[in-house]
Amino acid sequence: MKKTILFFGITSMLLLVNSGCDKFLTVDPPYTQDAENFFETPEDFERALTGAYDLLQGSFMSLWIGEIASDNSIAGGESVNDSQGLHQIDEMTHGGVNNDLRSLFRWNYAGLTRANYLLENQDNIDFVGKDVIVGEAKFLRAYYYFELVKFFGDVPLIVDKRIGIEEALTLERTPTSEVYAQIEADLIAASSVLSYTGVVKGHATKGAALSMLGKAYLYQNKFSQAASTFDQVISEGVYSLVSNYEEMFTAANENNLETVFDIQYSGLEGGGYGCLICLEGNAAPGFHGIRQYNGPVYGDGNSYNLPTQALYDAFSSVDPRRDATILDIESFIATQQNPGDISYAIGAGGHSGFYNNKYIKRIGEIGLPDNDLTSPVNYRVIRYSDVLLMAAEAHYQNGNTGLAQQLVNQVRTRVGIQGISLSSVNDIYTERRYELSGEGHRFFDLVRTGQASSFIPGFQTGKHELFPIPQAEIDLTGGNWAQNPGY
Amino acid sequence: MNKLLLLFAVSFFGLTGFSQEIIINGNVSSEENEMLPFVSVSVKGENAGVKTDFDGNYSITVKDTADLMLTYYFFGFIKQEILVGAQRTINVVLISETQDMDEVVVVGYGKVRTKELTGATSKVSGEDIEKMNVARMDQALQGQVSGVNISTNSGSPGGSSNIRIRGLSTFGDNDPLILVDGVVYDSEGLNALNPSDIKSINVLKDATAGIYGVRAANGVIIVETKNGKLNSKPKIQYNGYYGIQQTSRRLDLLNAEEYAVIKNEMFAFGGQDMPFNNTNLGVGTNWQDTIFKSAPVQSHNFSMNGGTANTQYSLGLGYFTQDGIVGGDKSHFSRYNARLNLSTDISPKLKLNSVFLYSNELRNTLPESGIGSVLYNTINAFPNAPIITPDGNYSYLDEVSDIINPVAQIENQYNWGWADKFVGKEEFIYSITKNLTFTNRFNYNYAQTKSKVFSPLVWYGDGKFANTALNEDLESPLVEIADSIFLERGAAVYENRSSFIDLTFESYMNYDRVFDSVHRVKATAGVSIFQRKGESLGGTAFNIPNNSLEFADISANQAEGGFLNSVSSYEFKERLLSAFLRAEYGYKSRYLFSGIIRLDGSSKFGGNNRYGLFPTGSGAWLMSEEDFFNIDFINFWKFRASYGVSGNDQIANFAYRALLNGEGVYVFNDIITQGVAIGRPANPDLKWETTRQFNIGMDMTAWKRVDFTTNFFIKNTFDLLFQPDVTAILGSYGPGGYPPIINAGDVSNKGFEFELGFRTLPGKELFASVNLNFTTINNKVTGVPEGVDFVPGAAFSVGGNVATRFEQGYEIGYFIGYEMDGIFQTQEEIDGAAVVQEGAQPGDIRFVDQNGDGVINFNDDSDRSYLGSAIPDFTMGFSFNLKYKGFDLSGNLYAAIGQEVIRNYERQQPYANQLGYVINRWTGEGTSNEHPRLTTGSTRNNVFSSYFVEDGSFVRLRNTQFGYNIPKSVLKKIKVEAIRVYVSANNLFTLTRYQGFDPDVGSAGALSAGVDYGVYPQAKTFIGGLQITF
Repeated sequence: MKKTILFFGITSMLLLVNSGCDKFLTVDPPYTQDAENFFETPEDFERALTGAYDLLQGSFMSLWIGEIASDNSIAGGESVNDSQGLHQIDEMTHGGVNNDLRSLFRWNYAGLTRANYLLENQDNIDFVGKDVIVGEAKFLRAYYYFELVKFFGDVPLIVDKRIGIEEALTLERTPTSEVYAQIEADLIAASSVLSYTGVVKGHATKGAALSMLGKAYLYQNKFSQAASTFDQVISEGVYSLVSNYEEMFTAANENNLETVFDIQYSGLEGGGYGCLICLEGNAAPGFHGIRQYNGPVYGDGNSYNLPTQALYDAFSSVDPRRDATILDIESFIATQQNPGDISYAIGAGGHSGFYNNKYIKRIGEIGLPDNDLTSPVNYRVIRYSDVLLMAAEAHYQNGNTGLAQQLVNQVRTRVGIQGISLSSVNDIYTERRYELSGEGHRFFDLVRTGQASSFIPGFQTGKHELFPIPQAEIDLTGGNWAQNPGY
Repeated sequence: MNKLLLLFAVSFFGLTGFSQEIIINGNVSSEENEMLPFVSVSVKGENAGVKTDFDGNYSITVKDTADLMLTYYFFGFIKQEILVGAQRTINVVLISETQDMDEVVVVGYGKVRTKELTGATSKVSGEDIEKMNVARMDQALQGQVSGVNISTNSGSPGGSSNIRIRGLSTFGDNDPLILVDGVVYDSEGLNALNPSDIKSINVLKDATAGIYGVRAANGVIIVETKNGKLNSKPKIQYNGYYGIQQTSRRLDLLNAEEYAVIKNEMFAFGGQDMPFNNTNLGVGTNWQDTIFKSAPVQSHNFSMNGGTANTQYSLGLGYFTQDGIVGGDKSHFSRYNARLNLSTDISPKLKLNSVFLYSNELRNTLPESGIGSVLYNTINAFPNAPIITPDGNYSYLDEVSDIINPVAQIENQYNWGWADKFVGKEEFIYSITKNLTFTNRFNYNYAQTKSKVFSPLVWYGDGKFANTALNEDLESPLVEIADSIFLERGAAVYENRSSFIDLTFESYMNYDRVFDSVHRVKATAGVSIFQRKGESLGGTAFNIPNNSLEFADISANQAEGGFLNSVSSYEFKERLLSAFLRAEYGYKSRYLFSGIIRLDGSSKFGGNNRYGLFPTGSGAWLMSEEDFFNIDFINFWKFRASYGVSGNDQIANFAYRALLNGEGVYVFNDIITQGVAIGRPANPDLKWETTRQFNIGMDMTAWKRVDFTTNFFIKNTFDLLFQPDVTAILGSYGPGGYPPIINAGDVSNKGFEFELGFRTLPGKELFASVNLNFTTINNKVTGVPEGVDFVPGAAFSVGGNVATRFEQGYEIGYFIGYEMDGIFQTQEEIDGAAVVQEGAQPGDIRFVDQNGDGVINFNDDSDRSYLGSAIPDFTMGFSFNLKYKGFDLSGNLYAAIGQEVIRNYERQQPYANQLGYVINRWTGEGTSNEHPRLTTGSTRNNVFSSYFVEDGSFVRLRNTQFGYNIPKSVLKKIKVEAIRVYVSANNLFTLTRYQGFDPDVGSAGALSAGVDYGVYPQAKTFIGGLQITF
């Protein structure tokens, strides 16, 4: 008996003394890396970079809002209660409480935080190719900040570090000009190390960085810098316009000669409606799809972001871009073999008879496991025709109208319609609408060119140029930020 | 020494030849073999006498007369009179009268007599648990004791409940610490515990639970399993029942004709074509009738208890099986249990207590709660659609993409979860001296779980979210894994194997000694070392041959190249290292004091805050033991007070450090490429939640029949473990990212509870007992993190507003939304209204302008207000028990009053079916002031408002039972000791105004309690049972 006691006594003493309390209680997470002892190998850098790319996949939200807020389309969907945020944006009644805007704010900050995490540790080790990784991280940071200034104006600028809750309470909204300065610096740095070609599909190229830079200049009305930057891209000669505009937006035809920068998606890994940012597929085509559709060519979807009659009517009937951009569902059905067998439903969130034909669920472009939700179709962030039109605009503003006209007509010729002679810069703006509708640019183009109030019903000048900072974000940083004017 | 003196004195008197005096020695003990101190021993008819000492010994000198009788009396026990005769040593066993007062309860590393408790505890006997005839202990506990609120997550077989001791104190983990025979037994694992194995449950409600330190803040539930008795013959018992269950409620839904008429009107109002040319559709399909079925439940338990001179044993075997009232065997729970409790004296000084509990369980589940669940589909399915179309298919319910045919859904669900659990301890108690014992024990709790989900290729109709097939012909979808390489993606099976093991080693000393007959000193000191390890491996494989259940195993998969198959795994470990000290002092059983200190080190926290110190002090005054106390009818009166600090460390492991467990995945070269991302930002200062609890209470017994206990408590929890929304600029809202867990926010619970019991004295032909308990809790959030106005909780409807919140000044998870103020009757009324409500039309809900600015603002909080909460104003339990001759009758009633429920099971979609109340909708001026018009157009009628909040108060007869004991005369012939047969009903009636399936809508998440997503209702069960004792 005494022995038993002795045994227990000694065992417990040994356990306590030998292992030491702290040692016993320090449990390391198995098979997982700690954020503080990372960036030890080149692979670590590559994996962190992949993580920073991930947030690009939230771009569908930018696409929706860029169209729905403009005169191009209505929110649609199952009902007005389904994604209230988009319906409010559609009606220009949006305010500080808007889930969709908040998601956008959160995702872009998550993306730039991941880029910052890598850049914070960029001096840890040296290896061949690190400059490219660092360059891409800067490209990504610039991309996310550009989205943020485009939507919200002044936003807190955080560079090369992670911040804690305490520090977050002390941060102010940084003036747009300073954010743009960081965007420019990052893109210049990126373009100096990235290459035009020989890049693994999906990674940012030099062309992408320069085009983004040119776009950032254009948004600031820095026309001469914009023009020279775009010229650099154009003169490199690596991009050209593909001949078949109508089929450019299928999964099969992505990453073509016209692709300057695409956000890559895969249909193989979906998820749930509860976390759209977790998807590896593009949510836009499924959401844009025809509700309960049963018929050829297209798959079914959720009838979001529906083009308006006005957009349809704005096109010339000979412009093939009209039907490539907009699906007129009734006339499409009428041309099919057995129209009577084709059925679809109308959502209570609105119906225009038109669907976004660029990003739409098509048969064969399957997203797993929920085909309504995801799609493998890439989002075309910058196409070469966009570069040409932006270059045209910059040159026109610099007084170089001849070159501008030549660039515009290059875009028109591709779809087989006659060239025009530019009578004002508005012709370039209109051409942008023809070429780029349905791709998420319209609202921002209208705002930066000062035309929004004349095209968008309910648009209040001095207010709606910017979206409101999500009220919750103001509150969570201590309530010190002023809301955007008018909200 | 005293005894010696006495002996001399007595001898002297004896020699001197006066009438002879004798000395009688002995001891007095209880039935539980506990020696009883302070028992009065006197000559019958005389007042003077002696009392037993702390070890129960007495010695009395009396005059020897022929009919000398001694009386033994101790409060709470039946008075005994013994004829002395020639005996000189008389050992007496007193039989307990009121049971509770002298019962010994386990309070953590020690035992104490109920009478001498200084803390607030409540005890439930195993009999009361078993009588409820339910599968789980937590279900049986509802309404049994004050201060413990049980709400039900699901009425499905094996569905869990939430045990909340003295309110919600955090919105994280509110589960109490559950110990079964001293072994940590988490509430998730309660399915494994057989209620028939339980001897007693003791709930530690106040700060005296602080002996368990960092895990005690939510209270502690101490379960003891049945054990044997020394020197008793083996007692073999069978206890079984069979029952039939039905749903306790069906919803009032529209039939086909009502549906068609109402939908036509709705579309017309929305300016759309009416969908039904012919509304003459009759009754149509009643989906509920097809879904709800009668289902059997049965339980069989064998036990054997007994003991020899130094060994006690108890064995149990159990089997329980239950099908669901929805889905039959697709919603099923069954369990096998085996148990062995063994106590043996290895030597006079060393005792071994060994407990071994084994269980094997199987649970089949259907999708429950919310969109996609069977009942949600049942409620919203169209009554005009047949279950099966004339061509033999299940109907597709085409018009709504997320509502599928619930009958087809049940048929295609294959979902199993198995668990084997081994729980036990080996405990050695060594008596070093009479006053000092040394206990060492090893506890283990090992669970191995296995699950399997078979997902065949199914087609529910065009565009349905749940389709796994490509089309109606059940073809496999083709997946392009690389340029022009397509693979078939057929039926899938998911399997998982996980194991969890808790090991605890505990070592402690107990000291118990009385000085000078009046000062009792007790002390406990010890250490505890705890480790929990878990690991899991799961995989999904595609292309199960023939789309058939027959081959539903990963081993049978035919996935081409295995490209689509996937695996995942995890592993974790957590540890706790603790030391504890308790000192108790009692003066004459009149004044009792107790102090506890526990030091805990937890691996959940980082180096900055790894150790926590938790002190508690408590005291009691037994006024009825005072010499001056002379109120005759009050037999016992005690006052108690306690104050202490305890903790809660129930958060995810490694929350204090940033791990690269976020999701950083992107597509390069068409290949999904894994990268890394931070999951949750670090918070190295993270620490446990702290609860400071004050309790003052009183226990009283009057007329030997009435017990009354009351408590008032204030329980304040600080530094809540919070995962609040944080600012987006921290960057934690990427895929797989979470906000950091921080300590912030405070919650206060104040409450009042009482228990009142009445029982007839033993020995009467009619035995009656009645128990009533009552609990009221005032829950309030007293602090939120800086910069956070509130923490949003559950969402209303699909993609709708957040309806519940954690916000300062309100209850946890209170409901917030617009307050309805009737219906706009006319356009003039809208135009003339003082308050502008954008978009309002006649027939729309009129909302209250809470801030009085003349506008209903739908974009911010200015016009939202408090609409209720899921926390009842009070809960009440009432039970009675009557026995007369061979008959017995009992009942158990539970009431929860004053809580609200959000009606959130209606799909706000034009074609979805609706509840019958829409028949009374507004259709024109003066037609309704309660139910708005129906339209497919844009309205604000579906924003979250008081229109969707209902009174959730209910009173439920949880169990009622009528039994008959076969007379002894009959039993003798068949050599059986006892046979009892009974009939019983569970949930026979529920009184409530709530419209949903079941007003008992619980949720494990504090912020989603009271949100009814179409809860699986509790069954109404009719039972016949048999108990045989050999």
